[in-house]
Amino acid sequence: MGILNLLNTIYDEEILAKLDFLKGINLFEGIKKRQLIHVLESLQERTYLKGETIFAQGDIGRALFIVSSGKIALSRLDAAAQKAEVIAEVNPGEFFGEMALLEEMPRTATATAAEDTKVFMLFKIKLDSLLFSRPKIGVVVASQLARILSARLRALLEKPAEN
Amino acid sequence: MASDTAQKKSYAQFLLPAVMGAALLYFIVMAKGAIFPFILSAALAYVLNPLISYFEVRGIKRGYAVVGLYLSVGAVLSIGVYLMLHFLSYDIESLQKYWPTYAERLQAYVTDMNTRMVANYPFLAKLGLAAKLQHLLEMVPQLLLSLLPALTLLFIIPFVTFFLLVGGSAIIDYLLDHLPSRHAELILHVASRIDGSLGNYLRGILTEAFVIFLIAFTGLMLMDLNYAAVIAVLIGFSSLIPYLGAIVGALLSSVVAYLQFGAILPIIKILAFFTGIRFFDDWFLQPYIMKKAVDLNPAVILLALMAGAEIGGIWGIVFSIPVTCILKELLQIAVELQETEFRWKPKPEPTRISIPYT
Repeated sequence: MGILNLLNTIYDEEILAKLDFLKGINLFEGIKKRQLIHVLESLQERTYLKGETIFAQGDIGRALFIVSSGKIALSRLDAAAQKAEVIAEVNPGEFFGEMALLEEMPRTATATAAEDTKVFMLFKIKLDSLLFSRPKIGVVVASQLARILSARLRALLEKPAEN
Repeated sequence: MASDTAQKKSYAQFLLPAVMGAALLYFIVMAKGAIFPFILSAALAYVLNPLISYFEVRGIKRGYAVVGLYLSVGAVLSIGVYLMLHFLSYDIESLQKYWPTYAERLQAYVTDMNTRMVANYPFLAKLGLAAKLQHLLEMVPQLLLSLLPALTLLFIIPFVTFFLLVGGSAIIDYLLDHLPSRHAELILHVASRIDGSLGNYLRGILTEAFVIFLIAFTGLMLMDLNYAAVIAVLIGFSSLIPYLGAIVGALLSSVVAYLQFGAILPIIKILAFFTGIRFFDDWFLQPYIMKKAVDLNPAVILLALMAGAEIGGIWGIVFSIPVTCILKELLQIAVELQETEFRWKPKPEPTRISIPYT
């Protein structure tokens, strides 16, 4: 009993919760929980207050953002109307800005915190390092990334047919 | 009018941080002697932090991870330091006892050489080499004893590092959360780039210095050279400065070998041993340990070391290479930003494929 109490004092339950959270993220599907520790090591946590801009349309992207809690609004500026239109909302467990992991190109939308939001950031440089140091994890992430991008492209092409 | 007020307000918001920055700079300049151990502690905490993070992401609370690290590393180091001090105290005692004899022999050798050289080249008499050497030899025991107060750093630095490791991450998290949100991504990108190359360099060079110390200590002990422990410690420390370790080792050991054996063969053996260490370092240690660190040209290293010595003496030399790493990474980032953020160059073209999605 005493040893269990001691272990409880030493062990950080928050880490377990973070690993459980990452297990549910699409991008990391197929990575064992034990290996997710290495992913967690590569992530950077940050809290954005309601109304704060995470990045603006046209900024160069360098990281993927995973929403841990709160909500992010993605908006795009309509060049003709000169008006920003919300194109999507990102909820906990979802991610955005994944194109930055492939190429450092301008962002296609503006991301704003719709409420106080905690995000995990995965920088391209960290992913590159993970790809070389932990190829098993790297292969899964790269393959998932390709699958997600393909799904997004398919959705884009199928959109006019739906209308 | 409204725009004037807005501009005044925008200037005013930088006033307090600027005053605080200036006050901090003034404090650092005035109390640089006291701050120095804290800079060294911060550097040590930075080097050790990945080890703490390793346990932290595996669920061990940070405080316990730091205590565990201190207890385990402390136990190993205590044994190591005890053994080293045992060897060192014997060596220092012996050096104190035999130094006058050694100094006399060295002086006799140099005086003899000087006489022969002056006979051939009379202008060398003006240099007064013999007198200068005598003064230098008299200074050596004093110089060695004057290094002892620096040992207090061995107690101050781990103490400060402990608290930096326990509480440092909270300060960094606070700072990260208070970065301007719009630029947080860019700032963190730059920070992780610098952290990647500098961290790898520092961890690499410390591992390299430790391995060279171990090889030198074992080799010199096997050669039965006096003061092997003292020389190995000096080689270890001087290995923190690229290329210096093997040179210091070869020079010191050759002098000691000459005084101890009075023959040329042990000196040749020692020179061969240190040449071997140099090649082992270049061909095996560095490619393996430093593969992820920033790659510095030897000419740049030399320039950095000379500039460091000019600016900050011995500690300037120690910190010159890490600072050069940061500067090189910043320079590279600046060039990249020029292509992306600043748009001085044409925008990078995205990859285009003519075949449609099928």
